[in-house]
Amino acid sequence: MKALVAVKRVVDYNVKVRVKADGSDVDIGNVKMSMNPFDEIAVEEAVRLKEAGKVSEIVVVSLGVKQCEETLRTAMAMGADRGILVETEAPLQPLAVAKLLKAVVDKEQPQLVILGKQAIDDDANQTGQMLAALLGWPQGTFASKVVVADSKVDVTREIDGGLETVALKLPAIVTTDLRLNEPRYVKLPNIMAAKKKPLDKTTPADLGVDPAPRLTVLKVAEPAKRSAGVKVASVQELVAKLKNEAKVL
Amino acid sequence: MTDIRTELMTLLNENRVRTDADSLGQYGLDWTRFHTPAPSAVVFPRSVDEVAAIVRWANQRKIGLVPSGGRTGLSAGAVATQGEVVVSFDLMRAISDFDPVERTVTIEAGVVTEQLQGFAAEHGLYYPVDFASRGSSQLGGNISTNAGGIKVIRYGLTRDWVMGLTVVTGQGDVLRLNNGLVKNATGYDLRHLFIGAEGTLGFIVGARMRLARQPRNLTVLLLAVPELDGIMSVFRLFNDGMPLTAFEFFSEQALGHVLARGHSQRPFESASPYYVLLEFEAPTDAETELAFSLFEKATEAGWAVDGIVSQSEQQAKDLWRLREDISESITPRRPYKNDISVTVSKAPAFMRELDAILAREYPDFEVVWFGHIGDGNLHINVLKPEDMPIDAFKRECERVSQWVFELVKKFDGSISAEHGVGLLKRDYLGYSRSAEEMAYMRAIKQVFDPNGIINPGKLVP
Repeated sequence: MKALVAVKRVVDYNVKVRVKADGSDVDIGNVKMSMNPFDEIAVEEAVRLKEAGKVSEIVVVSLGVKQCEETLRTAMAMGADRGILVETEAPLQPLAVAKLLKAVVDKEQPQLVILGKQAIDDDANQTGQMLAALLGWPQGTFASKVVVADSKVDVTREIDGGLETVALKLPAIVTTDLRLNEPRYVKLPNIMAAKKKPLDKTTPADLGVDPAPRLTVLKVAEPAKRSAGVKVASVQELVAKLKNEAKVL
Repeated sequence: MTDIRTELMTLLNENRVRTDADSLGQYGLDWTRFHTPAPSAVVFPRSVDEVAAIVRWANQRKIGLVPSGGRTGLSAGAVATQGEVVVSFDLMRAISDFDPVERTVTIEAGVVTEQLQGFAAEHGLYYPVDFASRGSSQLGGNISTNAGGIKVIRYGLTRDWVMGLTVVTGQGDVLRLNNGLVKNATGYDLRHLFIGAEGTLGFIVGARMRLARQPRNLTVLLLAVPELDGIMSVFRLFNDGMPLTAFEFFSEQALGHVLARGHSQRPFESASPYYVLLEFEAPTDAETELAFSLFEKATEAGWAVDGIVSQSEQQAKDLWRLREDISESITPRRPYKNDISVTVSKAPAFMRELDAILAREYPDFEVVWFGHIGDGNLHINVLKPEDMPIDAFKRECERVSQWVFELVKKFDGSISAEHGVGLLKRDYLGYSRSAEEMAYMRAIKQVFDPNGIINPGKLVP
């Protein structure tokens, strides 16, 4: 069975994000970029399925600028077999990403597509669901456990009040939650080996998809600065402040 | 007791003088766990003038003063065991007068290391002196102990970042030493005398600190090294081949304690006797490629058998935790710490002989090896067996320390590489300093602190 994993290149989780002076976007000049952490979990899950003999080939796909190659190489160093870069300088929104991924799925015909539940930059949490709708495939989102058996996949999801397990008929879409697994570190020899793995490039035009944004970003702003705390002298003063200033009593 | 409190309250506002048992116990100790705290009061000055007034008062009353910063010291340099007054810098945390051209900034002694690092980052700069206790340790303490840490091979010690100091001497005089000048050839640089003096000459109350440009894309490699000898071979190979920002090592035993806390995953499927963590800047692919080719050489030579490379800042942090969490993970076992150094070229031979001594003298104790071996610094931690009384344990460790220190002396090394001397290492100073040197040290102490009231009993025997 072939598995397809989508990976996004995002601003590193540890970078303190700055907004551009004109408020048009986040400033990503000279900022460390890494693989979206939820996508790392997706790659790890695919590799574990391959190690368990459930998956025979892992194809990893990324969409965006040329540097996304680095993200693909990381995924291949973790254990993916080959990479596909859909190269474009255009800004991509979830619907365009889902359409592009559908085109890749049509070509590659995987039985399982694994994606991060969301990307940590735009927190959209839409791509997996949109892709399932476009393909007409079943979806198991926010997976904390994935079991592949015969022609179905059982996906356990963390929901309010407990765990829910859904059985999906393959082919299917799975999006990963934080507790699904702990991604492995990348071995140096595997980095070297990953350089020799095939990486194909294509473009939105080749795939016949118009990735033009449908939504307009009006403004990007930093969160309000937290004001300094104050010390109160007595319980009475505290209660008065909670009543009159915080208005929580 | 009561009159000390009353007198101190004439110098400071009353809620900045504390004599309750909790405060005395807390502020009378640092991270060392071999002493019983017994200060008579803790005071919290807010300004240079208040510190000077406290010192003048202590001179009249002939009462000892102990400086207190983040209390993360490991040599009992900031413990008060004989009725001293503890001077805490917790309320002196201001950062001011940032100069982007000079890349310098003024700090008060109580500024926490991480606070200065954060300030630098906000201004696109970097404060490079870094270690696991960054979230608690204060700059005043860092300067007083000339703190080292994990970035020394690239950025040097705290001393290299101090452009000026404000001190209150043991006599109560306020000295402003080298106001940020790069060049200043006007005689004795007293600033450097106070750096690393462990508060025995006076109190450091403020400093002008230099900041560095931010490193670009720090990348971490973790290598599995099968033999103790291989560690320094790997160091030579990488250090000759590329500029490193850190080179650390630790043993499987050390890693075991970190993993037992459950916050980290085992880095390799199989255990290795030793691990090397090294870090470098990788602004382009070229640096990473170079590191890979060096790694291939290390594996061909048999020095390393496996390796990991960080793919994100998060992974770099997670790998660093394997090294940085060691100290905290073994604290419950009351470790006896040897913090020793030799020149890097002597390190391989030194480590071989040390290994033999420790194996011979500590057959039944767990000995944990780690350290900043890129600058010749080893941390040897001996863990207390659960059922052994602390006094008996300390006596046994002190017996073995004689052997260790004899070896350090033979290699012209230091019995305290970066933790300082304090109370814990004072009686061993002779292994690293000559009798003449110690006589000059005592004479210098006498000049700045004639009544012997500043951090009494520490450092100078």
